[in-house]
Formats: sequence, C-alpha cells, structure tokens
Amino acid sequence: MDLDSVNNDLEKRISDAFCVFDHHGDKFIDVREVGTVLRLLGCVPTEQEVNEVISATEQLGETSGEVHLTKFLPHVSQLLMERKMEPATPEKIIKAFKILDPENKGYLTKEHFGKLMMEEGEPFTQEEMDEMWPVAIDPITGHIPYEFYLNQLMVYL
Amino acid sequence: MLRSCVCLRSESTKRRSSSVEDASSCRSSEIERVGASMQTTTLGPNGQPQPVAAQTTTRASSLLQLFQRKGWCKHFRKPLRGMSASRAEKTIRAAIFIQKWYRQHQARREMQKRCNWQIFQNLEYASEQDQAELYKFFNDLIKNMPQAAATGNKYHQNSRISILEEDGELVEEAGDIVSTRIELPITKNDIDRLIDVFRKKKGNRLHPKYVAMILREGARCLKQMPNIVMVSTAVSQQVTVCGDLHGKLDDLLVVLYKNGLPSTSNPYVFNGDFVDRGKKGLEVLLLLLSLYLAFPNSVFLNRGNHEDSVMNARYGFSREVESKYPRNYKQLLLLIDEVYRWLPLGSVLNSRVLIVHGGFSDSTSLDLIKSIDRGKYVSILRPPVTDGEPLDKTEWQQIFDIMWSDPQSMQGCKPNTLRGAGVWFGPDVTETFLKRHRLNYVIRSHECKPNGHEFMHDNKVITIFSASNYYAMGSNKGAYMRLNNQLMPHFVQYISAASQTKRLSFRQRMGIVESSALKELAVRMRDHRDELELEFQKCDPDGSGHITISKWCCVMESVTKLGLPWRLLRDKLAPGTDSQSVNYVTTLDLLDTDVIMEAEADGTTVMDALYANKSSLVTIFNIIDADNSGEITLDEFETAIDLLVAHMPGVYSKEEMLEKCRMMDLNGDGKVDLNEFLEAFRLSDLHRKQQQEEDMRRRSTHRTIQNPSDSVTKLANAISKNTAVVEQDIDPTDCEADAVDPK
Repeated sequence: MDLDSVNNDLEKRISDAFCVFDHHGDKFIDVREVGTVLRLLGCVPTEQEVNEVISATEQLGETSGEVHLTKFLPHVSQLLMERKMEPATPEKIIKAFKILDPENKGYLTKEHFGKLMMEEGEPFTQEEMDEMWPVAIDPITGHIPYEFYLNQLMVYL
Repeated sequence: MLRSCVCLRSESTKRRSSSVEDASSCRSSEIERVGASMQTTTLGPNGQPQPVAAQTTTRASSLLQLFQRKGWCKHFRKPLRGMSASRAEKTIRAAIFIQKWYRQHQARREMQKRCNWQIFQNLEYASEQDQAELYKFFNDLIKNMPQAAATGNKYHQNSRISILEEDGELVEEAGDIVSTRIELPITKNDIDRLIDVFRKKKGNRLHPKYVAMILREGARCLKQMPNIVMVSTAVSQQVTVCGDLHGKLDDLLVVLYKNGLPSTSNPYVFNGDFVDRGKKGLEVLLLLLSLYLAFPNSVFLNRGNHEDSVMNARYGFSREVESKYPRNYKQLLLLIDEVYRWLPLGSVLNSRVLIVHGGFSDSTSLDLIKSIDRGKYVSILRPPVTDGEPLDKTEWQQIFDIMWSDPQSMQGCKPNTLRGAGVWFGPDVTETFLKRHRLNYVIRSHECKPNGHEFMHDNKVITIFSASNYYAMGSNKGAYMRLNNQLMPHFVQYISAASQTKRLSFRQRMGIVESSALKELAVRMRDHRDELELEFQKCDPDGSGHITISKWCCVMESVTKLGLPWRLLRDKLAPGTDSQSVNYVTTLDLLDTDVIMEAEADGTTVMDALYANKSSLVTIFNIIDADNSGEITLDEFETAIDLLVAHMPGVYSKEEMLEKCRMMDLNGDGKVDLNEFLEAFRLSDLHRKQQQEEDMRRRSTHRTIQNPSDSVTKLANAISKNTAVVEQDIDPTDCEADAVDPK
C-alpha cells in the first residue's frame, strides 16, 4: 500500500487521526492510543472492541506494543464502512440511564451509580470516576440528574 | 478461567482503560508529545523534524495482553442483588453502554483541551519567531557589512548614560492620578500603599514622577549586582521562586498574600517575564522593583526574554505604558530600558541550583556569562551597544541561549526553530551542564504549564510558571515553589480571581477557553485573509463555495504555517459546514465579523511593532552607515533591503522600498540621510494604512451584499460573549490555592 497516495477521504481521515499520535513520524503509534484514535474518528467502542482492534493490528515480535498505519488503515476503514461502533443517539443513552433507574426517580444516587460504574460491565478506574463526579453530581442534592448531565455534555461537544 | 478484566481486577490494583492516559488532567508532558506530533505531521517536506518524542514503555502492552479476551465475558463478580438474571444482564449492558459513551466523550474532550492549548502555544511561539527574525536580520546585516560591526550605536550609548543621572522632563498627565507620594528609601509601609493603589480598577495611576523615581532608583541599584547573583538560604532556611508573571498583578498579589511579603526569613527569586500580555505589567514591574528596593537582600530579580523593548513593542507592554502615561511614556520607556539592561541574568542558590529564565545550551558557560558586560544589551534582539569594539557574537549567543531555550525529551541540542532563538536541550545536555558546573538541578520558566510547574529530565529541570489564566480564564494554574534548606521543592498551585470561574458551569468554562483560542486564531488568520481567499478559490474553479475537507486543511496550513490540527478545527472554523465538504466562505466570513475585527484592532502586528520601534530603524541606519557620515548610499540601502525582505517575506516589498528611497533622494546625489531614511519607512507605513483602509472598505461593501450565514453569526456571538472581560478591583483572597504533595 502506498502511504503517500492516500486519496480517499475516509482513509485520509483515519490517517490524520492516527498521525496525531505518531510522535516519531514513523507511522507507528502506541497501542494505548488506539482507543483514543477510534474515538476521535467518532466511534464509540467498548473496551473489548478496542482490544479486538489492537489484536488485529498490533505488531508482533520486536515492535509489539505498537501499531503501524499499514495495518491500522485497512482494518479500521472496513469497520467504519460497516458502521461498527457507531455513536448512540442521546435518546438511547437516556434509555440506558433509565434502565439503571427502574423507579423512574429521574436521578441516580452517587453510591448506586458509582458502584455500578466501578464494578460492572467494563469498570471505570478510580481516575475516570473522579473525573466524572464534578460534572455529574448536582452540588445541591448530591445525586446525578442524568438527563441534565447528558445535556451539559452533549451540547458542549 | 476466562481471561477477563473483571476476573483480573482482584489481581491488579489498577485497571488500565483504553481511554487517554491520565485523562483527568491536561498533563503537559502529554500535550508536549501530542503537540510535537501535531507539528511533525504538518511540517512540510523541508521542515525540520521536531523533537519531543513519546517515552513509550512496554509495560502497557503486557498488561494489554492480559486484558485481551476473545468472546463476551458473562461473569458477574457480584450478582446484582434482587434481580432476575435477565434484568441483571440488561443492567450490565446499560452500564457498558454508558461507559463506552462516556469514554468516547472523555477522549474527545481531552482532544479538545489539547487542541485549544496547541492553538495558544503555537500562536505565541509563531509571534515570538517573528521577533527573533529581527535579531537574525541584524545578525545578517552585521555579517554582511563587517565594518559596521565595529561602529555599533554610539548614538544610543550617549543618550543612555544621561538618563540615569538627570531628572528628566516629566509633564503632568490628564485624568485621575492618585495623590499617593512615595519617597526614597522605600519602606514596607510604602509597599502596602502601592499595593492598595495598583490593585484598583480605577484610580490606580501614580504620579509619573514617582514611577520614574522607582524605575531610576531600581536601575541604579540593580547595576551594582553581578550577572549571576549568589543566593543563600543560610539565614532564611528557605527561599521562594516565582516564574513568569506577564503583567498579572492579581497572581503576584495572590503569591504575596499566601506566602507573605519578602523579608530576611522569607526571600524571593522572580525569574523574569514580568511584563507583556497581561494588562498590569507596569504595576507588576513597579511593585517588584519596590519590593527589591525595600528588601534588597531578600528579593532577587532575573531578566527574562520579555524584559526587552523589542518584545514589548510587539506584545503589548509598550502600548500599556503609552496608554497609561500618554504624555510621558517615551521617557518612562527609556527608564524601563535601563532597568532591563541592568537586571541580572540569573541566580545560583547555595551554589547548587541555577535559576535562569529559559535554559541553557551545550555551549553555555557560566564563567563566560559572569564576565560579560551585561549593560551593553539594552535589547537582546538588537545588537549590543558597543564602544567601537567589534561585536562578540559568541557572547550574544550565550545570552540568547539562557533567555530563550526550552528543554526537550529527546537527546541532543538543536536550534529552537519554534521560537526562532535559543535551543532545545535534551537530558544529555542537562547532565553534562550540571556536571560541568557542579550543580544539582536547574529552575527555569519561559513556558506555560497547565499546573504552573513541571519536572523534566529526571527531575533535573523544573519549570515554574506563575501566571494563572494565562491564555484565557481557566486555561491554567499558576504556581510558586518553596525550597527548604536542603533545596527540596514544594509547590503551591493557584488560580486568581477564582470566583469568576467557580460560579460557571463546566460547559461555560470550556466554552471560554475555546472561544478565546478561536478568537486569537481568527485574528492571526486575518493577517492572511486575502491569501486564504485566493487559495480557496483556486481549489474551487466552479465557484460553488465548497471544497473538500482535505483541500481546506491543506490551504489553511500552507498559508498560515501554524502547524495546527486543522481537521479537528474544521467544524469550528467553518461553522455550519457538513461532514463531507467545507463551505470556505464561512471561514472567511468568520474573519470579517465585528468581534474578530475589533480584536485585531486591539492587538499589534509585526509591522506595527517595527514601526513603533523607531530605534530599530535608527539602529539599522547606523549599522549601514559604517563610516558614520550620516548618509548611506543607495547601494548600501539596497543590501539592507535584500536582507530585510529575506527575513520578513511578505512584510516588505523590495521594489516599493527602493522606489521610496529613490524618491527620497531629493538632491539626486545617490545618498540618503537619516531623516530621509525614516521618511521612506513612514511613507511605506502611510501607504500600508491606505491599503488597509481600501481593503476594509472593499470587504464591508462585499459583506452587505452577502450576509454571513446564521452559523457564523451564532459562533461570533458566542465568542463575543465568552471572551467579554469584566474588570474588577483585585482581591488576592479570591483565589483557589492548594499545596501539591511533594514527589
């Protein structure tokens, strides 16, 4: 594959996002950045999906721990064209929150939500949790009014 | 056993997620890496590869292998109580849904932060590059006219000696001047009174004679100091070091409030860059000088690269002085120059720690620096004032290196092409330097850091930056460091005017930083507005107003050369555009909105700076006029033009300049004297102004024909709202400060 003649706009997009993390200019990125690149491209992968991309594209042997553009590009192009890992609509996200709020109170308690996020599914690290709190928690009630929280984040970006 | 992250949680204390490492803070070493890569990806084929490389480890990949799993893990660590299996599964799916959405959001937010930061930094350094070009021009001029090197500006030398002795001709200023009187020697009482005056929003101007007095006395005392000042904690048992303040009086007052006024037991070192960019540079400078005069053995001031009239003409301080003292600014600026030339170049703590503003290079020699007659360097960006002596370029280089250099993670030492002056020095250079001079570590400033401080080179290089909210409200914290007798550092980070950010929602805060970044970027883009339009149109032969995203990014970079991630900025700079193509007209319309045009009028361009800095023109003339005859030949003038054009392409047109020169040679003898020389530039200036007015007129008529789109108007309004500044009296207690846990 001739990297210099990446004309297709989709491939250019992927290549651009990839190159943001190519620090040495040698078209290699650290595996730890794969998730970020995917997210930059608008994908919403689960951790598992990220790991799958990593195992499909990671270099073996000496350069393990890195991913080269020649492997990344075709694999991710395919994924994007198949519309995998697509972002969800705000309605779907609210629906997910509502499942966690069966009594339909309109909010989640810090305790309940925190426990869930840090123990179930693909758990958050303490860092990620700490990052979430300041914006998610309503300073007056101490709860998470999820719809309001969602609005704050969605509109900003 | 299924290999799953859930099962392994019991084994690893910290699960690593695939989202951006340390997404909790805009960690600057991360940004530096990303920043450098953003530079690398967009530098053209002839651009030098730029330094900062990621320090990758293989720790992550082995952890990752542990986390890789094939197939969906249905193992529940703690069965969700009281739920049916299907209900529990639904809950888990919902949890994963939320988690993956949140992680994506975080990643994008992190990228946004880095983007904004990158914009601010690149704009700042690109401007500094312009200034450094001036230095290179002079260098070239001297190189190409070797006889000129010997002459220097005697003209300046004489006028400078007198200013320190005479009382000068100061006149009364209009408007409210406070009645506060200051007398020498300055006491602590005076300091309190000065702070009380300076912190006010209005009624904060001292009588110009007291300003002159503080400056003059300050310069006179500083002149007694050596180039490198020895500081000892023998008596105080500790010392506080502050970095760049850049006219942020509120930050200086926060530091003094939290850390106390200087005294024998509480000495301070201020590491340069007191002025420029912030609005209270004069107050900061006067307060620092007053502190120095009041507590001479407890306050140490180092020169920074912004303690330089050439920089001040470009970055706002000259303007600030002019606007505050319109009738006396020329005199005051001359006195300020005196302060600058006599500021020490650095300090050494307990013979173990060096404190300089920028850094050092592989050729930096403290012995050499100690031997320099630093008074020669009124401006570092202009040739030194020699006295018939040949210019020592090595010496000049030495000063540049300590004022302008930045650390890099890669090994080696190379010219700092980002700033245009000084070097980038790697950890190996640091190691050699410390060993050679028998030092433990170096404290420097010069670079803004999100948390006000940063360690590099295995903790041997510490950056300390004391101006919070430097780029925009909420952009970064400032910090100061306290060192104990063993010179162990402790940091206190803070944000001044905290109440202004506290009451804002997260969204509003992010909006402010982003709007500020966009505004600055748009103003900068206005410099190239016509060229942008031309290039866009070239890509759009059909005149549809739309071009591909790739083409848009290409044009943006080739015209502005700012090395920014244009793809990420596309939906902000071409608002209302869809995901397939770019309506470039919106980009141009954005540049023509009121908010951007007003911001442009507020600032200073390279050209303005050069014209404002008449002394540079005089210096140029004097250098060319090697035999000091008071006249230069057209040939000599032409050589100078060639060099100027080479260094500042697009700023000067050679034909124009030569034509002016020929026109000015009124008596037709092929020679130009100083007045005619300055006239040539002034005429060019007039001509330029005429051209600008013509452009504006043309654009405003164009604008009324085609109204800017709704999305452009909306964005412009948002920018306007978010960047509106409300000035208040400074209240140093209105800060958010916290001590950082020692490493």
